[in-house]
Amino acid sequence: MKPFAYTRAHTVWDAVAAVSAEPGARYLAGGTEMVNLVREGQESPDRLVDIGDLPLTEVRVHGRGVRIGALAKRVHEHPEVRRRLPVLAEAGLSAASPQVRNVATPGGNLLQRTRCHYFRDVRFPCNRREPGTGCAALRGVNRNNAIFGGSEHCVAVHPSDIAVALTALDAVVHTHGPAGERVIPVEELYRLPGDEPNRETVLDHGELIVAIDVPPTPFAARSHYLKLRDRASFAFALVSVAVALDVRAGVTHDVRIALGGVAPRPWRARAAEDALRGRRFDDDARAAAGEAATTGAKPLPHNEFKVELVRRAVVRALSEVEGR
Amino acid sequence: MSRPTKAPDKAPDRITTPITGGVGESPLRPDGTLKVKGEFAYSSDLWMDDMLWGATLRSPHPYARIVSIDLSGAWQTPGVHTVMTYDDVPGEKLFGLEHTDQPVMAHEVVRYQGEAVAIVAADHPETARRAVDKIVVEYEVLEPLTDAEEAVFATDAPTLHPGGNLVRHLPIRRGDQHATADVVVRGEYEVGMQDQAFLGPESGLAVPAEDGGVDLYIATQWLHVDQKQVAKCLGLPNDKVRLMLAGVGGAFGAREDLSMQVHASMLALRTGRPVKIVYSREESFFGHVHRHPAKLYYEHGATREGRLVYVKARMFLDGGAYASSTGAVVANAATLGVGPYEAPNVTIDCWGAYTNNPPCGAMRGFGAVQAAFAYESQMDRLAAELGLDPVEVRVRNAMAEGTTMPTGQVVDSAAPVAEMLRRVEAMPLPPAAPTDSYDLRELPGGVSNTTHGEGVVRGIGYGIGIKNVCFSEGFDDFSTARVRLEVIAGEPTAMVHTAAAEVGQGLVTVQAQIARTELGVERVTIHPADTQVGSGGSTSASRQTYMTGGAVKAACEKVRGLLLDIARERLHVEGQLHLDGGKIVSDRHGVLADLAEVLGDEVIDETVEWRHRPTEALDPTTGQGFAHVQYAFAVHRAVVDVDVDLGLVRVVALDCVQDVGKAINPDAVVGQIHGGSAQGLGLAVMEEIQVRDGKIRNPSFTDYLIPTILDMPPMKVDVLELADPHAPYGLRGVGEPPTISSTPAIVAAIRAATGLAIPRCPVRPEDITGTA
Ligand SMILES: Cc1cc2nc3c(=O)[nH]c(=O)nc-3n(C[C@H](O)[C@H](O)[C@H](O)COP(=O)(O)OP(=O)(O)OC[C@H]3O[C@@H](n4cnc5c(N)ncnc54)[C@H](O)[C@@H]3O)c2cc1C
Repeated sequence: MKPFAYTRAHTVWDAVAAVSAEPGARYLAGGTEMVNLVREGQESPDRLVDIGDLPLTEVRVHGRGVRIGALAKRVHEHPEVRRRLPVLAEAGLSAASPQVRNVATPGGNLLQRTRCHYFRDVRFPCNRREPGTGCAALRGVNRNNAIFGGSEHCVAVHPSDIAVALTALDAVVHTHGPAGERVIPVEELYRLPGDEPNRETVLDHGELIVAIDVPPTPFAARSHYLKLRDRASFAFALVSVAVALDVRAGVTHDVRIALGGVAPRPWRARAAEDALRGRRFDDDARAAAGEAATTGAKPLPHNEFKVELVRRAVVRALSEVEGR
Repeated sequence: MSRPTKAPDKAPDRITTPITGGVGESPLRPDGTLKVKGEFAYSSDLWMDDMLWGATLRSPHPYARIVSIDLSGAWQTPGVHTVMTYDDVPGEKLFGLEHTDQPVMAHEVVRYQGEAVAIVAADHPETARRAVDKIVVEYEVLEPLTDAEEAVFATDAPTLHPGGNLVRHLPIRRGDQHATADVVVRGEYEVGMQDQAFLGPESGLAVPAEDGGVDLYIATQWLHVDQKQVAKCLGLPNDKVRLMLAGVGGAFGAREDLSMQVHASMLALRTGRPVKIVYSREESFFGHVHRHPAKLYYEHGATREGRLVYVKARMFLDGGAYASSTGAVVANAATLGVGPYEAPNVTIDCWGAYTNNPPCGAMRGFGAVQAAFAYESQMDRLAAELGLDPVEVRVRNAMAEGTTMPTGQVVDSAAPVAEMLRRVEAMPLPPAAPTDSYDLRELPGGVSNTTHGEGVVRGIGYGIGIKNVCFSEGFDDFSTARVRLEVIAGEPTAMVHTAAAEVGQGLVTVQAQIARTELGVERVTIHPADTQVGSGGSTSASRQTYMTGGAVKAACEKVRGLLLDIARERLHVEGQLHLDGGKIVSDRHGVLADLAEVLGDEVIDETVEWRHRPTEALDPTTGQGFAHVQYAFAVHRAVVDVDVDLGLVRVVALDCVQDVGKAINPDAVVGQIHGGSAQGLGLAVMEEIQVRDGKIRNPSFTDYLIPTILDMPPMKVDVLELADPHAPYGLRGVGEPPTISSTPAIVAAIRAATGLAIPRCPVRPEDITGTA
């Protein structure tokens, strides 16, 4: 572990200025991810700027939806989130363990790094960690890797559960950066690896997430998060599905379907949405959506099973939400 | 008998908390409250103000030649006190439990990923780690050998050790080797590499002593076997290497081999300073042996009535880079390879091989686990083939007292296999899968919201396991106990001193219970375990309550005899006397005196070495012989709900019947059964060290998954107490059997729910969705 400086920021402006000023500076929120990365050597910052004191902890419901502060803890327990945004509450509850959830923040969750074994184990080459060294996952054990959106340089999966739910809710993040404020749809926060897997997000250096906005939509209230994993709790998704549905008179008026555990970012299954939109919401439509959700899948030697799991999980998530 | 004058903080102290209760009761454990409150001092908490910290450089390659090692970067790091390699090992350069084949640090070649290459002592753990990073090793990387079967049979396989790649081959031949049968079932099975997953990483503190020796505070399973190996490697006589048991955070077999013991001692002797080494969690996955992964080929022949005619098996156990206890694991898999069944004709071959995979050795169940997964799967296949119920086919073949084992050994104490099966079968079943449950924890997928009942199929499966207790094959297996009786502040007090390792199983409590029962005293204190008393043997093979319990009992009997002699002399009485509730009692005259009065200032201090009845070596060509001291059995019935669409399993019930001979501490017995069953559940559905090309892919508790409370159902446990006349109090070892039978029971239940063959454990979602 490389020595680093530690400072606490008291205002958003201070924080942005401190990190922007130094290429080796990084934000520290709950630290459940950053501290591990520093200890294990995937990150070796010169400075950590602790943003834990910033006033970004509120969950607020207003005319334009729900605003979630970047440092709000245990958002999934918030009664308005549970009522208005079930998919987000379920995704939040399914992430990590109670102990981790007590300190983890939504901003940190969105910006956690991949759990790809070969990224995490610094003894292996990894283009995401060290550009140009190669991708060990392609030839290694790639059971947990991507079936969508990968490239010949990287097949890592983004591990966040809430990012998948937020994508299905058309949520956006608000940022403050050296160049000012901006708004970015959660889905577009992440870059696909292409030939630059080390550039994971569209954020500039020093750009701070201050809040997540979930707009009022007709599909948010009838939404659901389904997560498949290797044990009943405290494990990352093999495959997860967030669905949000607006069915009127038995016909799907609008729908969002996002997949987790299968791509370098939350994966909007647009073909599956199209298979439902404007049609009767019945078994046939759900089966067609499941099939469509696998469009474009490019499985690796050890994760072919994910394709079938995606199909089945989408069908299941849609049947589960129907009862709501 | 004194301890070093300069003891570190957080070294275990004499246990003086009263442990009230004798044999058959369940007194509170003295360590229990501390552990629950996070106040128990583990070996990683050991502290001395002037200590240095050790760190280890490990090989990144599973197989490579060491071309050169450049230590200069480490030496130049400020704060570093010393850097050492193979060349600095003062004594014997190799160590090992059964075979001395493992270098203290790698020499010329590394044989597994994570093998120690160099060690550093520095004034801060981070300094030591950074110095390790500055050591430059040039390797010539070689193609690793990663398949046990190939290691033994492929002619073009590289030879990893001077004697070849075979650690042990054990054939068992019994009866007609050409027997034929009406009904034949065959199967190929695989068991993944399980980790012991103890929570307290390898750690200890070595303190250089004035006499040129070393005092080593260490979390281990067997102080004396460590002492012997450490002393040899340091080139010191045994009495200059004194070991004190530090707080042990679980073991399950993983602490039977040395990890950092020699390294810390070398660094301490070289620097003249106490040196502490604590492995990180990741390092720990490379720092201890694992359960042997296995490939097993079975063939069962039976009559149309379902009676076994023959069992044939070929088993391959991957021992990894060094032998550890592979030889004994091979013997268990082979001799217990038929399971708790009568089979007149047996042809079994078991091979344990060297490969470049992580070394494998002792883990709870020790060879019996792998075999049980295969033979129980076969019994279910046989039942299916014959259209019989799985319990029925097992009962028809159940062994019993008087059965002749495949080794020719006649079982000479209770073996209530059929009764256990009937009992577990008769236990009430859990209610049907909830279809409208909103307690998601009750459904496969749990709080992951995967189902509210759709796609869920229930299955029931049975598993039964057999395990040998204590060390086998003619090993001189003994334990030593010292018991001291004296009057302190007017109260008779017994002190029990052994070298047996308390690893969390509750041995200190049991020792005190036995002393209370045998001596009739209220106050019993437990001396910290160390090498100042004779060996207690290993805390493994489910043997400590039997062996050290037996030794404590024998030492107490001796002390009691001497006390009664004193009483006869002082009270001028003849004939039979006994001790009862702190009183000397005569058959004829009733209570004669208080123990305290009779003993006065006298101190009775006796040490006894106690042995179980001898066993024999196995014939190397036929595997025949009286090799095992005692057999123990557990049976499980697993009920699972499987979400067959999504491949998720919820174990709904995992009920167990186990014969323990005598429950010395009933709560501890049930605790062992719960824990063992959970460990077996882990192997059934999630626990596996994933190794590819000799490299571990998941060395963390984020990626190596062990069951949580949401994965483990509440259990019904039925404890039988059929005394074994050869054992102290009639007891039977408890720790391992439940680990053996729960895995096959759960996998059988998954098969029953899905109709799939499932030849491998752990079972993953894709094995159920059929899309693997
Ligand atoms: C054992 C374990 C299991 C887990 N399981 C799951 C799981 O199943 N599902 C899941 O979704 N997650 C899981 N996680 C991840 C966990 O949710 C994240 O670690 C956590 O949300 C990160 O939040 P934090 O506040 O601790 O972030 P930190 O560790 O403080 O920061 C993480 C990253 O985000 C950056 N950052 C933090 N806040 C901001 C901000 N406001 N603006 C810009 N950058 C910022 C930091 O610089 C850093 O790069 C698991 C984590 C652990 C340790």
